[in-house]
Amino acid sequence: MLAATDISFSYGRAKVLQDVSIAVGRGSIVGLLGPNGSGKTTLLRIVAGILPPLAGTVLVGGQPIEQLTRRELARRIAVVPQETHSTFDFSVMDMVLMGRYPHLGAFELEGAADQDIAREALTATGTAALETRAFATLSGGEKQRVVIASALAQASEMLLLDEPTAALDLGYQFEIAALLRRLNAERRTTMIVSTHDLNLAAAICEHIVLLKDGRVLAHGATRDTLTADSIRSLYDVDADVQFHERAGHLTVVPIARAH
Amino acid sequence: MVASGASTGAADEPQRIISLVPATTEMLFVMGAGRRIAGVSNYDRFPADVARLPKVGGLLDPDVERLLSLKPDLVIVYDTQTDLKRQLERARIPVFGYVHRGLPDITDTMRALGARIGMKAAADAAAARIEQQLAAIHARVAGRPRLKTLLIFGREPGALRQVDASAGYGFLHDLLELAGGSDALGDLQKQSIEMSTEMIISRAPEVILELHYGDSLKPERFDAERRVWNVLPSVPAVRNNRVFLLGGDEFVVPGPRIVIAADRFARTLHPEAFK
Amino acid sequence: MRERTEILARTPVRQRLIWTVAGFGTLAFAACLFGPLVGSTRIHLSAVFDRSIPYADNVDAQIFFVARLPRVLAAALVGSALALSGVVFQALLRNPLASPDTLGVSAGAALGAMMAITFNFDFSLLGISAVPLASFAGSFGALLIVYGLSTARRRGTSTIVLLLGGVTVQALLSAVIAFVQYLADFTQTFRNVRWLMGSLDVASYAPIGAALVPMAIAWAGFATLPRVLDLISVGSESAAARGVNVERTERVALVSASLATGAAVSLAGPVSFVGIVVPHLVRLIVGADHRLVLPGSALFGGAFLIGCDLVARTIIAPLELPVGIVTAIIGGPVFLWLLFRRA
Repeated sequence: MLAATDISFSYGRAKVLQDVSIAVGRGSIVGLLGPNGSGKTTLLRIVAGILPPLAGTVLVGGQPIEQLTRRELARRIAVVPQETHSTFDFSVMDMVLMGRYPHLGAFELEGAADQDIAREALTATGTAALETRAFATLSGGEKQRVVIASALAQASEMLLLDEPTAALDLGYQFEIAALLRRLNAERRTTMIVSTHDLNLAAAICEHIVLLKDGRVLAHGATRDTLTADSIRSLYDVDADVQFHERAGHLTVVPIARAH
Repeated sequence: MVASGASTGAADEPQRIISLVPATTEMLFVMGAGRRIAGVSNYDRFPADVARLPKVGGLLDPDVERLLSLKPDLVIVYDTQTDLKRQLERARIPVFGYVHRGLPDITDTMRALGARIGMKAAADAAAARIEQQLAAIHARVAGRPRLKTLLIFGREPGALRQVDASAGYGFLHDLLELAGGSDALGDLQKQSIEMSTEMIISRAPEVILELHYGDSLKPERFDAERRVWNVLPSVPAVRNNRVFLLGGDEFVVPGPRIVIAADRFARTLHPEAFK
Repeated sequence: MRERTEILARTPVRQRLIWTVAGFGTLAFAACLFGPLVGSTRIHLSAVFDRSIPYADNVDAQIFFVARLPRVLAAALVGSALALSGVVFQALLRNPLASPDTLGVSAGAALGAMMAITFNFDFSLLGISAVPLASFAGSFGALLIVYGLSTARRRGTSTIVLLLGGVTVQALLSAVIAFVQYLADFTQTFRNVRWLMGSLDVASYAPIGAALVPMAIAWAGFATLPRVLDLISVGSESAAARGVNVERTERVALVSASLATGAAVSLAGPVSFVGIVVPHLVRLIVGADHRLVLPGSALFGGAFLIGCDLVARTIIAPLELPVGIVTAIIGGPVFLWLLFRRA
């Protein structure tokens, strides 16, 4: 579905990414893990086509990303940013309808079909009742779900999420995780999730990529790659990684700083 | 009436006078006290002798250091220069406060100044001469129809915008009335106002006099500036070709040369009276 | 307030657009119609259009066509330009308190005008006198500096750089303006101060025609902006991810809004508050969608300034207030009220 090969990027002299390669199969959820400054967000931007790499190629559905127009790319890949601040007072419906932009002509206004798609996206994220509310008045979890809805309205095959639960309360973290799992199961949406939250990655990602200092430290199936050793290399933290019966997936318990 | 400043018992005949007001500089020369002037303002241009004299700033920016260094025994300041007056009082330098309102204040000031510097006779004579000359001009045009006149102090060059006009108060207004004109905005009782186009049309002046001071208008541009008024053909002054541009410092300085100003007004408004 | 959001959210944007243009359009049309009929002097409409009276003698016609109609047209143009620029700058800088003055384009225009007044510039071009020409040149100079700043930004730098740079340009130009004013003599200072208060009394159609040239370019730019401004105001990265060319959009927005501001300020001087208050008032009525706010602000801005100019020229008749004072007296309290609402 998406293959990024030998990606390199620098901000001025600072090398942010060096020879990073990832491959994401259709319908899978891939987690991007790493400490701050490891290059996760930059990699997401490059893969989304927002930032051009200094070296390397990105293939989307087999096609080089440069060959796609911005709109074409937007129809294939949608991005859910970490936080969304709206300068102006848009309603929830306004926010979701913005996701329809790549499907409309330059001066085309959204029609009934677009409104239906928007409503469907709101329903899928459990926010249909909020349609006429002002976006700014929503709680953190509600906002994030609406933003995911607007990404869904974009009707893309792939979703890139940057720290989707970082700013959320515990309860909402579970909601988002469950939502993402459900979307992946129902719609076969391919997802790349960049996150700090090791337990979130353990809960929803089948594959993970570990980034450290701009390089790929390790990648593979979660159960093989998310180990105490890899966590120590990545974060300098001693952690306990165990399969948890009740949760139904691996859980990570940090114990102490490693040396 | 004109105010005299505090005099701290200094000489009745000051010999080192500094005049920050161009009008009083000219008055001093006319009454024969030119030799006694030690310093003038940056804005003094008449008579030619002032070019040799030290300059000490003006209304907004008096150069107090320079002023004090000239060791004056009388300083003529604007009555509104309160900070400067205070500084001079502290330095025990006598001050003559100049106030300017209407036409009569000019000769009143001359007389007061003459008395202050011990040249009463010369000053009174000069003042009387000015009054006689003004009366003569007034007599020449008396009996002629008083023309409704728009007296313009300034506007944006090349455009009919920011038109600043006399509105019934001040020495130029008084000169205009004396010279046989009737201030078109006289009822407003202000020194000057910014006029709108609509006002110009509705007031329908019979004569328009535009004043241009200093070097602000070169003679080549006179015709172009006069043509600016052609957008208002319904105004009688424009229709009858009675838009006049007058340049010269005598219109800016309320001193002895107002006689020239009055004469020019009168000749412009009533040329037939001077044939 | 909640009900309004609900109603707006339920109405499809096509319908809202029709209502917006129809509503504000009617207001603007009424203002344009009513404006030249009202003034400090009584005129007779029958006489204005009476062809039998030769134009040179027709006082009513001259008041209507020379004194009032150019003013109303200038007010419509300037009000609309400032309101549109205000909307665009607020979106571009992601700041609802931004205005056409924020990035220094107004200051550039003011500097040009002050220099023309203080140094007695004497040239004219196609019937346009020195002050508006120098003023527009000044605004264009400021635009070049700010544009240079915006393109010098590295990829991914936030709008903070643009904002800080523009504010610095504005402060620097203000200092130069103060210096030029210091050099001015009494009469020039008076004219400078009066110019800064704004005046729509153009008395001729040539400057309006001249202002239409940069305005037309600005409008062409504005026409491409409505939907993309919505997307950008929610986040430049999300906008880029949705297919918007963010850099190009920001450049078009900057240039269009600056050209419109430069044209408006050279024509009428810096008229305060129109660019900051009108967009907010329009948003209160039609919501935040720029496809509605842009046309709404253009129409309401024109109507608003025509109204303010009407007050300016009638309230202390036969004298006139500078229009900038009226917009400040009305706009100031309204702006405070808007701030309190937000808080």
